[in-house]
Amino acid sequence: MKQEELDNRLSEIEGELLSVERTEDNRIFLPCESEKAYAVCKFLFEELQLRFVISTGVDAEHCFEVLHHFTNDESGCIVTVKAMIRDREAPELESIAPLIPGAEWIEREMHDILGINFKNHPNLRRLILSDDWPEGVYPLRKDVKV
Amino acid sequence: MNWKLWSLKKSIWVFHVNAGACNNCDIEIVNLLTPRFDVERFGIKLVGSPRHADALLVTGAGTRQASVRLREVYRQTAKPCVVFCMGACACGTGIFEGGYHIAGPVDKIIKEVDPNAIIAYVPGCPPKPEAMISGVVKALSAL
Amino acid sequence: MIEALENLFWIVIFPGFVFTLAVGLIASWLVRKVSALVQYRVGPPVYQPLADVMKLMGKEILIPQEAQRAVFVAAPLIGLAGVLLLATMLWLAVAGTDFVGDILVALYLMVLPSLALILGSSASGSPHAALGASREMKLVLGYELPLVLAFVVVLIKTAGVVAPGEQLSLAAISQHASVLSVSGALAFLVALLCVQAKLGFVPFDMAEAETEVASGVIIEYSGALLAVWKLMQAMMLVALPLFLVVVFLGGIGTSGWSLLAGIGKYVLVLVLVILIKNTNPRVRIDQAMRFFWFYAGATLVAAVILATLGNYYGIPWL
Repeated sequence: MKQEELDNRLSEIEGELLSVERTEDNRIFLPCESEKAYAVCKFLFEELQLRFVISTGVDAEHCFEVLHHFTNDESGCIVTVKAMIRDREAPELESIAPLIPGAEWIEREMHDILGINFKNHPNLRRLILSDDWPEGVYPLRKDVKV
Repeated sequence: MNWKLWSLKKSIWVFHVNAGACNNCDIEIVNLLTPRFDVERFGIKLVGSPRHADALLVTGAGTRQASVRLREVYRQTAKPCVVFCMGACACGTGIFEGGYHIAGPVDKIIKEVDPNAIIAYVPGCPPKPEAMISGVVKALSAL
Repeated sequence: MIEALENLFWIVIFPGFVFTLAVGLIASWLVRKVSALVQYRVGPPVYQPLADVMKLMGKEILIPQEAQRAVFVAAPLIGLAGVLLLATMLWLAVAGTDFVGDILVALYLMVLPSLALILGSSASGSPHAALGASREMKLVLGYELPLVLAFVVVLIKTAGVVAPGEQLSLAAISQHASVLSVSGALAFLVALLCVQAKLGFVPFDMAEAETEVASGVIIEYSGALLAVWKLMQAMMLVALPLFLVVVFLGGIGTSGWSLLAGIGKYVLVLVLVILIKNTNPRVRIDQAMRFFWFYAGATLVAAVILATLGNYYGIPWL
């Protein structure tokens, strides 16, 4: 869809978001709380028919952030949903893998390396850490020293 | 020199092992074995099984996952054999120094199995095929 | 006593083990050199196959824990013995010392190397080897029948011109070049491809595929046992094209021009095998079986019909 149509449709979901950040013409960030992330992704994937690209996990100082990147191929615009997970002791997020099967492996990787638990994930096994890696040690967390 | 050493120098069969590499060195090794560089004139041939091999071309900094398998492959290689560490990561972990998933550079992993292993180092990131040929020839003449 | 010593000399030195091995190593070098020239590069030096075998003799023999030791060690020796007897018999037939029915013995002995490969790989205790063994078995099922049918065509062609009691003898058949007729040429083509499969060359080398199944059939062999497999393959490079030359192309004479012409025929068959090897990709096992049963079979049925018609109506070139 064209860029203006995308901007208009995004205003429909503004109620669920914390804000709409537009760093450049073709880069839109949608920060939201972790409980609303699934609904926003569902809207972007099903209503707006955007294509899922990849996800990113970030260990920010006071929260965990999980970014899901979607792209609008026609106008080259990338829309990112930034889910803020406030609970640092037991971070949890609802998995978008039942909706988008392509997100299965990247969520497994985030679970392995950052320790974020994805609810309703069909197959949350170890993906990239070695078989003899101890449980409960998440290497990419800032407070872990390996 | 006796016939065993002569024949080993004239006919060296290689087996390629990837111990957690980024694939750059693997691509260069595959390039090396194409007809353009013609390593068959030195008697070098790529074999599909470590039991047939005289030289292991190991790429990659040894990751924890790969170190177990690398030790097993080394044990299955019929001695006498030479281990070639191809690339900066195999020689000394390269840019992955201090990473959480590294079990030591390749020579440390091999020496756990066999402290008297013959190991040759070919640095580069990735080493050019010409550098690999020169490394192999130098190692063979030093045997 | 003298005869036993003479037989021993024939089998071990000339024209048996040592001679065939020497010719086999040179033929194996020829394969690699011609392949190199086709690929526009310099190939290995002349002593390369010898250096390979010597190096393998100097390495240790590793036997996996799950392997059946007795069969594992005996299989390469069985294969070598089969090829050795075949080669000796063929050279002696060329020299004139043959017996009636030796073509049947040759056909039987030709199966032994493939059988030994299957036995050895089944005893290896490795899933890759099992895969290689199953492929080799299916391949043998594929090409044995067309090979025998091709020789039946030759037998039909020589029925009119060879004395009835002598028909099954190699020396008698080798007097007539069956390839110089339509049915003979078709049969020679199919037999050439069957020999390609038996030698384990591309396009039919899926049993010992290096990149696909990590050298399937011989994956667990090392050291001296692997050297025996390589020797067996080198000697097959002598025996099988020689068989084709004797049966289809009119044999090798023993002196003068016919000897030179015979050597030229052997080199021609070898070069044909090498060129087919260098210009084709590897096919899947089901494609190979379909090729041997349907296309080769249909060609041979046509050849048999043509040969019978030629015999019946007395047309020699059919």
